[in-house]
Amino acid sequence: MNHESRAPLRRQILTVAGVGAGIVALIALLTSGSDFGTLLSIFSTRFLGIFIEAVPFLLLGTFVSGLIEAFLTAEDIARVVPRNRVLATVVGTFMGFTFPVCECGVVPVVRRLYSKGLPLSVGVTFLLAAPVINPIVLASTAAAFGIGEVLIGRIIITIIVAFSIGLVFAVAARPQEVLRSAHLPVAPVMGGSGELPVMPLLSASPPRKSLPAGLRDAVSLAGDEFFEMGRYLIIGSMLAAAMQTFISQEFLLALGRGPIISVIAMQGLAFLLSVCSTVDSFLALAFAGTFTTGSVLAFLTFGPMVDIKSMLMFLGVFRRRIVLYLILLPLLMTLLIGIWINLNLAL
Amino acid sequence: MSVLNAHPEHDHAPEHGGAQTTQLWLKTAILLGLGIYFVYNILTGNLTNYINERFAWLSYVAAALFLVIGAYSAWHLLTAHRGGHGQHAAHEQDHDHDGHAHGEISWGILAIVAIPLLLGTLIPSRPLGAEAVSGGVNISAVESAQVTVLSVPPLERNVLDWLRAFNRETDMTAFDGQPVDVIGFIYREPTFADDQFMVARFTVSCCVADASAIGLAVQSAETASLDQGIWVRVQGTLQVGDFRGERLPVIQASQIDVVDQPDHPYLYP
Repeated sequence: MNHESRAPLRRQILTVAGVGAGIVALIALLTSGSDFGTLLSIFSTRFLGIFIEAVPFLLLGTFVSGLIEAFLTAEDIARVVPRNRVLATVVGTFMGFTFPVCECGVVPVVRRLYSKGLPLSVGVTFLLAAPVINPIVLASTAAAFGIGEVLIGRIIITIIVAFSIGLVFAVAARPQEVLRSAHLPVAPVMGGSGELPVMPLLSASPPRKSLPAGLRDAVSLAGDEFFEMGRYLIIGSMLAAAMQTFISQEFLLALGRGPIISVIAMQGLAFLLSVCSTVDSFLALAFAGTFTTGSVLAFLTFGPMVDIKSMLMFLGVFRRRIVLYLILLPLLMTLLIGIWINLNLAL
Repeated sequence: MSVLNAHPEHDHAPEHGGAQTTQLWLKTAILLGLGIYFVYNILTGNLTNYINERFAWLSYVAAALFLVIGAYSAWHLLTAHRGGHGQHAAHEQDHDHDGHAHGEISWGILAIVAIPLLLGTLIPSRPLGAEAVSGGVNISAVESAQVTVLSVPPLERNVLDWLRAFNRETDMTAFDGQPVDVIGFIYREPTFADDQFMVARFTVSCCVADASAIGLAVQSAETASLDQGIWVRVQGTLQVGDFRGERLPVIQASQIDVVDQPDHPYLYP
């Protein structure tokens, strides 16, 4: 069973990431003049800051995931998702309005929906779009930038990127090649990836649970999933805090002027900082004065789709090759769109 | 297809082994511990060392969810142990979720998730200070649409308000003679003149991940006796002067008092 053979790999990646963070910290300690206690204190404050800000969203995400597991059946999803691939992908783009989660919470929800039979392409589109296209994030973006070009640009770019990548998966991918085997649907639902073998839906769903039993299950599942997903958030937060503490901001900001290099710099920053999409517009606001608009938009669209912690969480759901696509496709698309905006639109 | 659907992690033995019971109790302890840690942060006000107060309600949500999940986990473990075999069978059935890796918890995962709890309890909680400044202290501030800074009387303006007021004015001499009364930490670089320092604050939009240092230039004969990073209240008047080769409003300090770190160490733009 190849599931077992893959588990140690994930462990290895986690170990490598942990050791990497340790080495970065050690080198920085040896090369910097500051004493160990001070640096540890700053690192700890930064790490706990990101953790405390992000963990409520992770918990809400796992709780929503628990509720889906307890109360949603495969038939419900079959009823909602259209059979037409393009329409199904459109549904995936706007599903964030029904499952309002940021990128810390979206992975557990997608994983749960997959095991409930959500078509692959719809899940990919949802995964990429939901961290932006949901009421909480749109409200926070509007609060930071007002209702204007940044908010509208963020929505449009996210929809374009998520929708096109979802379509690629709808046409080209088979679930067996994409998902880690543990998360394959019990009963795939038609629509989206049409190549799915048709399975009898009857065998899939146990009878709907009563409200108290369902709530108990949701709480229990939220606890399990907090540990499964929380480790990625914690390692990601530690890496981000280590970068911030040990790499000078001056160096990062020096990159941020040119129409091309600024986009790449902001994408890198979004990836490394791993700040939750619910609050990243406040962070982007700090760069809005000095950085090009295209780069700020790339930060606000690429960051929610891919960053250190979501990348680590993707590894828990998708196969390695697919995780690579899920990083590279949004990276290239937001890069090109960001550069195009810088060169063609004087925002 | 059926092969792919097999869930090996569901094949665990009906009885919990000794190690697994210990792990489940540790898991429960971490959940409850994190809940208590969040409550502790809220009660002591340490929360404002980490995040913008505007998002404090999120921590209330997290505290409540951690405590509920942890309490349920503890209750579940207690009843499973007391109930004997019959109860145990029900427990197993209760947890037969599709595709869900229940019970798949390892020492490694427990160790990683315990990290925030350990760092939070073992390292004394301190806000970012002068040592955390990287890339210098900014003398221009984040703008914000809703700010009506000019309606704030000069003596009530904080460091952020002043920098915003400077942003709005092209003629810096307009501020000459205005009284200033601000609190911040001492920030000095070797390149500063001997009688100059900055009274600095960190601004935090959401959490310390986006913290950035801002400050006002101060001219004072007492500069040499003030240590980097200590909190001071600076009173004086503004006068355009030279600071690091730039012409900008500099506080001519008439009085500098060492003060306690404020309850809200960061300013919220």
